[in-house]
Amino acid sequence: MPVPELDVFQVIADPSRREMLRMLSEKSLPINSLAEHFDMSRPAVSKHVKIMYNAGFISIEDIGRERYCTLKKDGFDELQKWISFFDNFWKTKLKNLETLLNNKIKKS
Amino acid sequence: MERSINHSVFYPHPPEVVWDYLTKAELMEQWLMKNNFELKLGHDFQFNTGPIPSLHFDGIVYCKVLEIEPLKKLTYSWKCGPGKGKITIDSIVYWTLQAKDNGTEVLLENSGFKEADFNVVIFNAMDQGWLANMNKISKILNETKDASTRA
Repeated sequence: MPVPELDVFQVIADPSRREMLRMLSEKSLPINSLAEHFDMSRPAVSKHVKIMYNAGFISIEDIGRERYCTLKKDGFDELQKWISFFDNFWKTKLKNLETLLNNKIKKS
Repeated sequence: MERSINHSVFYPHPPEVVWDYLTKAELMEQWLMKNNFELKLGHDFQFNTGPIPSLHFDGIVYCKVLEIEPLKKLTYSWKCGPGKGKITIDSIVYWTLQAKDNGTEVLLENSGFKEADFNVVIFNAMDQGWLANMNKISKILNETKDASTRA
C-alpha cells in the first residue's frame, strides 16, 4: 500500500490517527495492540503508523517480534506541566493556610 | 510519569477549625482562591485565579463536590482548560483530616489526571511551536527531495 507524504496538519486531521496518538501519549504500544482498538485491516493500521512515523510524530522500534510505536514526547508534555504546576500550587496554598491559622492563634 | 500529587501537613488546630477553612467559601478564599463553593453533595462550583497563558490555563477551575464526610473527608473534581469552558485537564482533589496530637493532620491528594480533550492538547502543542517546527522540517525535506528529483 503506497504511503502518502502528509504534513502535520494532514496527519492530525484524521480521527483514527488522533486516537492512535492519544493512546501512545499514555504508553508505547506494539502495532498489533494498536490495531486491536480499531475496526480496520492490519495493513490500514500499518499505513497510519507509517504516516505518523514519516511526519515525525512517533518512533518505531523492533522488540522481539513486535514493532513498538513510541510517541515523540516533545510537544505532548502538557499533562506533566500541569501536574508540576499544581504540585507547587498546592504546596504554596497549604503554606498559606498554615500562616493564616497560626495568625489566628496569635490573635486569640 | 508521576500522575498524582500528595501533600501532608500538620496544623496545630482541631479538625473543626481546619474543616471550616476547607468548606466555607469566604475562608477558602483567604488562602486558596476566590470561589463559590457550597458544602453540598453534587454542587458545581468554580475557583477563580489569574490566567496562565504558557500553561493554556484561563484561570478557572471547574469543580463538583463528590464526597462529604464531615470533619474527615472532602472530595471534589478539579478540571481546567484554555478558556470558553473547554476542559483539557481532568482530575480529582481529595482532602482527608485526621485528629492527632492536639491538632489535625491534613492529607491532600490531587490525582486521576488525564487529558480530557486530546484534540485541544494537540492544538496547544502546535501553538507551542513544536508541530509548527516539525511542519517546517517536513517542508524543507520535501523541497530538498523535489530539488533532487529535478536534478
